[in-house]
Amino acid sequence: MICKILLTIWMAVIIVASFLYAGAAAGFPGETSRILFFHVPQAWIATLAFLISMIASAVYLAKRRVKADYLAQSAAELGFLFCVLATITGSVFAKATWGAFWNWDPRQTSIVILLMIYGAYFAIRSAVSDPDRRRVFAGVYSILAFVTVPFLVFVVPRITTSLHPENTMNPASPGMDPKTLKVFLGSLFAYTGLFVWMLRLKIRVLRIEGLRNLGIEEL
Amino acid sequence: MHQTKNGRWGTQARSSTYLNEAVAIWLRDLRSEFRTRYALNAILMFAVTTLIAVSFSIGSFRIEEAERPFLFSVLLWIILTFSALSGLARSFVKEEEAGTIDVLKLSARPQAVFLGKLFFNLTLLGALELIIVPSFILLMSYQINSPGFFIAIIISGGLGLGAGTTIIAAMIARASTRGALFSALSLPLLLPLMITCIKGCERAAIGMNNADWPEVKVAVAYFIIMITMSLLLFPLIWEE
Amino acid sequence: MAVAGWNGSGKSTLLRIIAGLVKPSAGQVEMFFNKEPIPRESRRGFVGMVAPALSLYDELTGLENMEFFCRVRGVACHRNNCLDIIDRVGLTEHATKMCRDYSSGLKQRLKLAQALLHKPPLLLLDEPGCNLDSQGIKVVEEIISNQRQLGMTVIASNEKREVGYAGKVVNLSE
Repeated sequence: MICKILLTIWMAVIIVASFLYAGAAAGFPGETSRILFFHVPQAWIATLAFLISMIASAVYLAKRRVKADYLAQSAAELGFLFCVLATITGSVFAKATWGAFWNWDPRQTSIVILLMIYGAYFAIRSAVSDPDRRRVFAGVYSILAFVTVPFLVFVVPRITTSLHPENTMNPASPGMDPKTLKVFLGSLFAYTGLFVWMLRLKIRVLRIEGLRNLGIEEL
Repeated sequence: MHQTKNGRWGTQARSSTYLNEAVAIWLRDLRSEFRTRYALNAILMFAVTTLIAVSFSIGSFRIEEAERPFLFSVLLWIILTFSALSGLARSFVKEEEAGTIDVLKLSARPQAVFLGKLFFNLTLLGALELIIVPSFILLMSYQINSPGFFIAIIISGGLGLGAGTTIIAAMIARASTRGALFSALSLPLLLPLMITCIKGCERAAIGMNNADWPEVKVAVAYFIIMITMSLLLFPLIWEE
Repeated sequence: MAVAGWNGSGKSTLLRIIAGLVKPSAGQVEMFFNKEPIPRESRRGFVGMVAPALSLYDELTGLENMEFFCRVRGVACHRNNCLDIIDRVGLTEHATKMCRDYSSGLKQRLKLAQALLHKPPLLLLDEPGCNLDSQGIKVVEEIISNQRQLGMTVIASNEKREVGYAGKVVNLSE
């Protein structure tokens, strides 16, 4: 309970600080760099969630513990949410900075591919009716998808750099200004806290649903 | 039944390797395909139709010469990938529809099944590339300045396409919405391969004077990794 | 041994669970040969199964089907072995015809042949007499009596005659 309140306060502080405390970063037009306090943590959480989901799937495939699958599913759903947010905030930033919502620069390409992987994961979850089979298939798919990620990391920058050299400006690190860094790290912490909180809620819901289903069968 | 050395009864020993059994499955699939031609027809129909549409609407000269190496490469790989996606699931889906999956599960080891189906898919892809790639080059007047490299990319790309899709085909054969699901699941996995191959073909068309073939190495690495992961994960899918 | 019960009591499912085609929602299957446990992956070498739901390859001939299963099971494959088994089930005249042209009785005989290829210690027969004429039923009886020396047979059926082949009967409806 306390954690929830603290997290809410912390998030509010970060939001205010990102506008009032930290200065706008140089090299970016006007106030646009402020969105990065939110965009980068979202993208980071989206990727982290995918990693967690993959590892939980691997645990499920090895040990067949249903709780591992609950974690995999919840992490994937939340990861998808943050991925959509990251895509939207990234597009807004792109429009403000480079004048177009979408340029297919390395970052944008990577986030879209992650979005596609999440989409495919949910597609396979909804296409299989038998619960055990669903978990195994979804788990196998998330592992396969994860395996292709190193290729993407290696391949995408080489391709998009040569295609669109002017768009390789990478807004990943918004300056080393100490105030900015503080707010950025604070935001990262806040988003991680938010993610963990939502994850635990989701797993609890799934667990209760699972128990309820079992109960119905026993009746 | 026979009596083994220590006097116990034993069943007939397994006298073959995964490879032998995989080849048996591959040859059987080939024989069935030869007699019915379902998968090959589906793939070729798609490819030829798309190729004709592309050639008719774009033609050899509408695109400026500087852009041709890249754009033609993109078109070629779009045709190859989507044709593959229209037909590569057939080997598993046909078994599922005919009801022969159970008897295959009872007789064959999972890894042998995977390898056999992989070989079959690679054969289909080989036939597709053999027919479509030269046709494309002719119809579009695609100028290739480094033919050796180009052929290497086509071959390694085809290998990668097969490796990335065979296990997905096994998964969707048991699901409800097969066709669309196969494409939706395969494309995210195939993207790195496609991007690499498009780039490689572009460079082959422009021509390179060095012997550096990074794209081929990436495609082959993709092939090896996907096969390894699939061999590990396929038994889990097969036994569900 | 025979498993009997009303339609829907789960006879076929039980056989499929034993064969390893379906995972049980509770419990597990353990098999022993000469008092040594058989690991799950090796079970297919010890089990032969015949069932209405099983199909063989329609685009191949009877003989081609048999040769395929020989090779895929890793059993030493000679044409003569296959022809012998085909002869045993009475399919010799039809061996080189496409399975899609077989009647359901002929298909049933081919299924029996396929189950015998690797001389399995455990034979699972789900409604073995289904679609068979009197000749075919004699073939089934011969197979079952032969199997007593090799190992064991589990028959799932509703027919009194088939249940009568068994030494022990388990009734799933109780």
